[in-house]
Amino acid sequence: MLPQFLNTLALWQWGLLALIPPAIIALYFLKLRRQPLAVPSTYLWSRAIEDLHVNSLWQRLRQSLLLFLQLFLIGLLAFTLLRPGWKGTELLGDRFIFLIDTSASMGASDQAPSRLDEAKKQAIALIEKMDEGDSAMVISFSDVARVEQPFTTSRRELRSRVELIEQTNRPSDLSEALRAANGLANPGHTSDANDPADADIQTAEAMPADLYIFSDGGFQSVPNFKLGNLNPTYVKIAGEQQHNIAISSFSTDANPEKPGQVQAFARIENFSDTEETVEASLLLNDTLLDAQKVTLPPRSEKGLPGASGIRFEMNEIESGVLKVKIDSKDNLPLDNEAFAVVNLPRPAKVLLVTPGNDSLQLALGTEEALKIADVSVAEPKLLETKAYQDQASEGAYDLIIYDQCAPKEMPACNTLFIGRLPPEGWQAKGPKQGPPLVIDSDQVHPLAQLVQMGNVKIVEGTPLAGPPGTVTLIDADIGPIYAVGPRGGYEDAVLGFDIVAYKEDGSREVNTDWPIRRSFPVFVMNAVKYLGGVRSSLAAPSTKPGQPAVLRTQIPVNSIVVQSPRGDRFEIPREASGSYVFGRTDELGVYDVRDGAGQKVTQQFAVNLFDTRESDLAPREVLEIGHEEVQAQEAQQVARKELWRWLLIGALGVLIFEWYIYNRRVYL
Amino acid sequence: MTTQTSTPLLSPQLLAQLERLELVSRKIFRGRMKGERKSKRKGQSVEFADFRQYVAGDDLRFIDWNLFARMERLYLKLFLEEEDLHFYTLIDASPSMDFGDPTKLQFAKQLAASLGFIGLCRADRVRIESLGTSARKPGPVLRGRSSLWRMLSYLDSVEPGERVSLAEGVRNFCLRNPGKGILVLITDLMDKEGYEKAFRLLVAQQMDVYVLHILSPEELNPDIKGDLKLIDCEDDDIAEVTISRPLLEKYKRTVAAFVDGAREFCVRRGMSYLMASTDTSVETLVANYLRKRGLVR
Repeated sequence: MLPQFLNTLALWQWGLLALIPPAIIALYFLKLRRQPLAVPSTYLWSRAIEDLHVNSLWQRLRQSLLLFLQLFLIGLLAFTLLRPGWKGTELLGDRFIFLIDTSASMGASDQAPSRLDEAKKQAIALIEKMDEGDSAMVISFSDVARVEQPFTTSRRELRSRVELIEQTNRPSDLSEALRAANGLANPGHTSDANDPADADIQTAEAMPADLYIFSDGGFQSVPNFKLGNLNPTYVKIAGEQQHNIAISSFSTDANPEKPGQVQAFARIENFSDTEETVEASLLLNDTLLDAQKVTLPPRSEKGLPGASGIRFEMNEIESGVLKVKIDSKDNLPLDNEAFAVVNLPRPAKVLLVTPGNDSLQLALGTEEALKIADVSVAEPKLLETKAYQDQASEGAYDLIIYDQCAPKEMPACNTLFIGRLPPEGWQAKGPKQGPPLVIDSDQVHPLAQLVQMGNVKIVEGTPLAGPPGTVTLIDADIGPIYAVGPRGGYEDAVLGFDIVAYKEDGSREVNTDWPIRRSFPVFVMNAVKYLGGVRSSLAAPSTKPGQPAVLRTQIPVNSIVVQSPRGDRFEIPREASGSYVFGRTDELGVYDVRDGAGQKVTQQFAVNLFDTRESDLAPREVLEIGHEEVQAQEAQQVARKELWRWLLIGALGVLIFEWYIYNRRVYL
Repeated sequence: MTTQTSTPLLSPQLLAQLERLELVSRKIFRGRMKGERKSKRKGQSVEFADFRQYVAGDDLRFIDWNLFARMERLYLKLFLEEEDLHFYTLIDASPSMDFGDPTKLQFAKQLAASLGFIGLCRADRVRIESLGTSARKPGPVLRGRSSLWRMLSYLDSVEPGERVSLAEGVRNFCLRNPGKGILVLITDLMDKEGYEKAFRLLVAQQMDVYVLHILSPEELNPDIKGDLKLIDCEDDDIAEVTISRPLLEKYKRTVAAFVDGAREFCVRRGMSYLMASTDTSVETLVANYLRKRGLVR
């Protein structure tokens, strides 16, 4: 903390000031005007003076103590004129916004007891320094921002609100917090359409504010934000050394080499600068199944964590909770455990409406397909019955496949249309033409994964144009011939060509040789898995904290009850789409789901951190907000501390001391 | 600075007190006239001293006839002669003595008058002079109580401002007064040439010397401060001082060393030394201090 100076005098004024010390010295060199006093004899005095002059240097110094005091006084005053100061901790300004990061990484213990506690402490310290009449606002943020306390001048209120801020396990995202803070500082603009000259009207008076961000910087930069009247200060909250080993992913899958066996994969990352060896244990319903030692390389020079994968093999399990944990004593214990849930498989309810399609029925009748789907087949005339219409609108099916037919109204479930267009939202981009040549298929989308169309010949097809948000899955020279598009909470996949076509005369015509290609059953399985919402026993997806978990039940019930790992129960009503959206996934661990009023746990889902950004405890030095870079400040250094008052008091003290010396002739 | 005091040098109470005292000499001197003192000389008195053989021409009145009857030889009875005592008081009337309240000179005069009065009462030969007294105009020789007024008027005539150094004044005095006796030198010893030479002259005179060193309280404990130009009233010498506590302490040490040096010098040479501050009363000084020193009894 180096002192800083502000010059208060012009050069010629400094020149005048510089003349004073020589003037004082000159006055001392000039003969002192002494008061004459007649004495009987100077005999004894001369002897006393002579004796004193023996140690003359020090005596002279003592004699000129007043001179030194006066020079010192002038020096102090000149120094005062330089206005020395340093960055202190006094708050300047009158409006403050305190943004406090509550994301998972703020729970790290590298700053005892935790980063969040330190952030709260520093925020409270700043609140204590607020002057009377200053107002402040407290916002806590993780991936969502929460206004803990709107602008108030009550320090007590602010303090208690800050103390009440709780740690979350969520990832962090500054942008929402910035938007919340933005309101009063940068009020919105509006324009008056009737007055083209005055196109930009500010709706309210801008109230600039100092923005204090207490965080470790573990979030993405916010490029699309203009700070405007916000004056940001990034108070970096982190300890000196960070040590963390995290499980960054955990999943289970069937062993392709050994049928009937299951593999569990975990990826462990080392965010420390040293090589670490940890023991990873796999537990099923809290019973130890297996353990492995794994050595992790240190963090690379580019900052990437040292990572290693581990694999456990076990026999197939029907249901239960798999937990992997590492025995690392690090700063962030949250990511030392991960859960995977194996639920009882829930087959999809699929209705195939077709006038007759052997190859499709064959593909849906395979052993694999029967495992995941409960397929019923119906003639197109079923579409006219009320029973079907009721079932379709209630969401009794997960997937309805319309082959060479189309309903009058779209059902309340996902659909796959083959050779026909849905009654709403979809159009033909052109006439039926052929033969279409397949150019490309989307290998990323689950519906088209592993579907190789290179060897497939198609006689004729219709190019498709779906509603906004449609994704082309298979593209041909005539246009998209397989696409999926959204419809409310559902998705409709449309195949632009028939597989077999029944002409009006009842004759059957084969339109493509796809059914004899390997990609056809893959296509069907993809459709059933994806559109049918099939959940196999393995690979139940993990939910990140704070993200909504979309749940489905085997039989539609009005509500489900979700029990959090801590034991809190939440009743979730059914959404229009037939799914249940559970949003309070703040806790890490396994959530139990019960259908309706039933006591039996029908399914479970796991919430894991799995966030490299949160697990990486290394603090960021610079925040990028809009085009501004906000440098980290270790401690809260807010205001300039002025020294000149103390210097003036010191000068006054010197003056008094000089007066005392002069009057009492007492030398130190 | 000169305070022409109107107070009498000797108050009646002091006179009454002094009447009871007498001057004592540690030495026995020859006097000029018959007096009340024993003399080295044998002569007529009531106090027997010795016998000696008669030689022609001796006074027949002193022959011890009883001894002649026994021894059939003529012996002369010798008696101790009683003579007067020569008492000198030498006052330093240099300008430096004109300081203090009362001035040192006034104090010296009082002292001289007191001691002189004692001598007059005992029929001693009293002579008071100042250092600057010239040989042409010597101080009066006083004898007998009736001379008190002459003594006082002479003392009144002694004015400060005699520019004679201590040694020169003492030398002149010694030349003028070769006789023996008691000498009381009343001075402040403030002589830049030093007092040693003067004292040696006195020692050579073989007198019974008493040095009364008079200092004013202002000299012993100066109450001054500030930046001062000290002007010597005798030779206008200037000493520039900035009064400080160390300087004052140093000055006091210097004064103490000066007094000690003078005392030691005197004691080693058989002289009596007494330092007196002018704030001591003359009565106390004479009745107590000088009595202890053996000058009076």
